Amino acid sequence: MHPQRPHLEDQDLLLAASAELPAAETAEVRSHLASCEGCRARMADLEHAMGEFRRFYRQELDAGLPPADRSLERLQARIDAAEPPGAWHQRTRRWLRQPGLALAASVALAVGVFQLAQARGRRGPSGAEHSVAVPSPRLTPGVTLPLTQRDVCSAATQAQVPAVPDALQRQVFAAYGIKDPAPGAYEVDYLITPQLGGASSLRNLWPEPYFDTRWNARVKDALEDRLHQLVCSGQLDLATAQRDIARDWIAAYKKYFDTDQPLAAPEGDGGENTGSV
Amino acid sequence: MVPAELALALPRSLERQDAGSEAERAVTQLFGALRDPVLRYVTALGLRSEEAEEIVQETFIALLRHLRLGRPQTNLRGWIFRVAHNLALKRRQRSGRAPLRSLEGLALEGEARPDPAPNPEEQLAGGQRRRRLLAVVRALPERDRGCLFMRAEGLGYREIAAALGISLGAVCLSVKRSLDRLARAEGA
Repeated sequence: MHPQRPHLEDQDLLLAASAELPAAETAEVRSHLASCEGCRARMADLEHAMGEFRRFYRQELDAGLPPADRSLERLQARIDAAEPPGAWHQRTRRWLRQPGLALAASVALAVGVFQLAQARGRRGPSGAEHSVAVPSPRLTPGVTLPLTQRDVCSAATQAQVPAVPDALQRQVFAAYGIKDPAPGAYEVDYLITPQLGGASSLRNLWPEPYFDTRWNARVKDALEDRLHQLVCSGQLDLATAQRDIARDWIAAYKKYFDTDQPLAAPEGDGGENTGSV
Repeated sequence: MVPAELALALPRSLERQDAGSEAERAVTQLFGALRDPVLRYVTALGLRSEEAEEIVQETFIALLRHLRLGRPQTNLRGWIFRVAHNLALKRRQRSGRAPLRSLEGLALEGEARPDPAPNPEEQLAGGQRRRRLLAVVRALPERDRGCLFMRAEGLGYREIAAALGISLGAVCLSVKRSLDRLARAEGA
């Protein structure tokens, strides 16, 4: 026994059981377990409970699982129907060549410039935790297409948020001075989501950190859903929704969810109500 | 930790012209490995089985888009579960129908589950245990269920943290809490 040595923490036991500890720590855990009966018993209990649950879970679900071959055929058909790479750019270009929409695009640009001018006059959100989660108002003031409430609430607009093309993503990283972004570290995201009439423009996009901040992409998704709901049920006008999310989305989240914390934050108890976590 | 069967030999950056076919190959490969786990997972969250199938399809189409756009390929399994999880919760919220309870989707089709217990007493005991465990699982907070089910699907704690956008510590705490509750129910 090593009376001075503290017992292993649950996290170490779990990570050791799933072989996720670095070699040095694994060795420490092993040597502690070898000499500590209490921790050995805890480890055994945890592994037993996990094993029992896994068996139960599989027994509940496996019997009713439909065979995979039909699903693979379905997927293959959808892959074949999906657009090849590059089609997005062409579609956008075709779209912009239509006379009415070219006008729409220039209005969008004008709105962007106007919002840029507004952005200069105000202070950005402060606080260290915000520093990466919110875009620079100078680089990403938010740009909208001239769409009406009916437009953004129609089934067609709701269907899918268009993926941001590669080239545009690179421009966004360049604008923010991010060279060689680490894989998985950022998602180039719309400030004003297309669900709310946001445009696919450099000035409406920013590198949003994926994880590790409390105010992350999933929290913003929940806000977007909430705003879209409010706009489409007539409780909020579209321009206000666009302005609030563009000005400071975290403040908007706090306002529309009436909370100071992201509802899906680790300290909460996981939200059924956020819709996206 | 990505197990060996998922360690795809994807090139670091997909060349534009090859990106399409490379991405399709990767998607079918990952579908082969992960279709059942993802389908089980979203069903366990309380989707009806036809909805669950649809979510799986959408998830892998999203993966195709993700790879074609040359997006990050680290922790693709966590990425897939994250997308499926979010789509499932959205679907459940928007379907308008009363959501199923967790682990209920497949039970609708096969109400009488094959029970390996040999005699009536053991069958009875097995049924009681099943009800106890289901009650515990259904009483868990949404996020604890997500962590527990992903862990049951063999995801590592780091993968789960990435999939749910929460800290490693929070995942470990959540799984530990659920296991304690399950163990108490087993002992009851």
